[in-house]
Amino acid sequence: MFRRGLPLTIAILFGVLTLISLLFAISEIGNLILEWASFLAAIALLLGAINLFSVHAQRMAANRPVGGQNLYSAVLVISMVIVFGLGLTDLLDITNNSMALVFAWVQAPLEAALASLLAFFLLLSGIRLLQRQRTVSSILFLVTAVLILLSNALIVSPLLPSGVSTLLQQLRDFIQNIIVTSGVRGILLGIALGAITLSIRLLLGLERPYTK
Amino acid sequence: MTVLVPLVVIAAVAVFIVLGSRRLAQREGPALRPLAGYTALKGQVGRAIESASKLHISLGRASLTGTASPTSVAALAVLQRLAEDGCANNTPPITTVGDGTLLPLAENNLRQAAEDAKSTVGIPPGTVRFIASRTDPFAYAGGVASVIQQQKILGNVMVGHFGQELAIVAEVAGRNQVQQTIGSDDPLALAVAVPVTDNIMIGEELLAAPAYLQGKPHQIASLQVQDILRILLSLTILGLAVYRVVAG
Repeated sequence: MFRRGLPLTIAILFGVLTLISLLFAISEIGNLILEWASFLAAIALLLGAINLFSVHAQRMAANRPVGGQNLYSAVLVISMVIVFGLGLTDLLDITNNSMALVFAWVQAPLEAALASLLAFFLLLSGIRLLQRQRTVSSILFLVTAVLILLSNALIVSPLLPSGVSTLLQQLRDFIQNIIVTSGVRGILLGIALGAITLSIRLLLGLERPYTK
Repeated sequence: MTVLVPLVVIAAVAVFIVLGSRRLAQREGPALRPLAGYTALKGQVGRAIESASKLHISLGRASLTGTASPTSVAALAVLQRLAEDGCANNTPPITTVGDGTLLPLAENNLRQAAEDAKSTVGIPPGTVRFIASRTDPFAYAGGVASVIQQQKILGNVMVGHFGQELAIVAEVAGRNQVQQTIGSDDPLALAVAVPVTDNIMIGEELLAAPAYLQGKPHQIASLQVQDILRILLSLTILGLAVYRVVAG
């Protein structure tokens, strides 16, 4: 009873308090709860980092190497230790801004490289979709993707006649502003309604993801 | 007035959900329309058990303290179902999370499922993995992709809040011929998912996960209220559009 009742009471109490603070613009309550939530989220992040480290340290130490797993895990563990060390040396003023340098020179370029591959992946997936099922919607998907990519690339080209460039721009704007926007708004409205009803169930204590 | 409107809406929705759930508790509820994502999910679990393979489930990057928390709650309902089925056959799903707040809940779900199923293997270390912070979507995608590539995984279930980085994971899963089920609340992620798999849970379909997988009266009543709200909202938008056209 106590094991189930206590989390439920806490969840409902804080849910109602947050709702009241938002509806009646009582920022003091909202900010206080937000601070506590941020603190808990920070602890959860720390737990996450420990989980990441322990999983890969165990794999690194495992006797059965499978497909280079141990190597990847070793790279991750060593990188974590190095960055943690750099954070400490920054804190103690032994080094200056070294963690920011790691982010700027390692993480940011890697993430940018992955991001730049997205359009390519999407086009490739479109082609695979067409191979898998030749339906009207799959053809439409690929044609639209190619059209948008081409129009984005060609509109700025000085070699293209201005009439064609204007036509491409109008077509792109029509697809993005009318077709895509209406579809996205439909999806977002559905999500909003789903989120409202789910949140109310959480507030009423009918939905309890924190306890069975 | 500005406070009154949301208050009335919330109170009305709450009353309708409670009344609807009481009504449904006394008699059989309506049949839910079949959704490809949930049908595929049940098939994937069965196939994984038959072939002694594991499923991978990724719960996305939405924090439980943020605005996208309902998506994570729905994703946890999917995990609970997969964990119950998996633990009953000693194959708990490999679970990856992209936010620290999801980690304890995911672990709790799996442990509870293992206890209920009296699993002999329990939850092996490393079954639940934190991949990267939610502020690093591409690091998260890279980490999840490597889990899919390195483990013997039959099915990949990605439910929760993802962005366009989902394309990287889906591509890797596709290359490894892993069956995929994807559900997200981000239209960009859904656009990326469309060419990869037919088993998609589009926005509100993902949020309906508790009703589809647990089917409690209040969850089904909530779907009915949602449908009524949708009709009202559509009629309001349509009415306003007609009014603007007529009024010039």
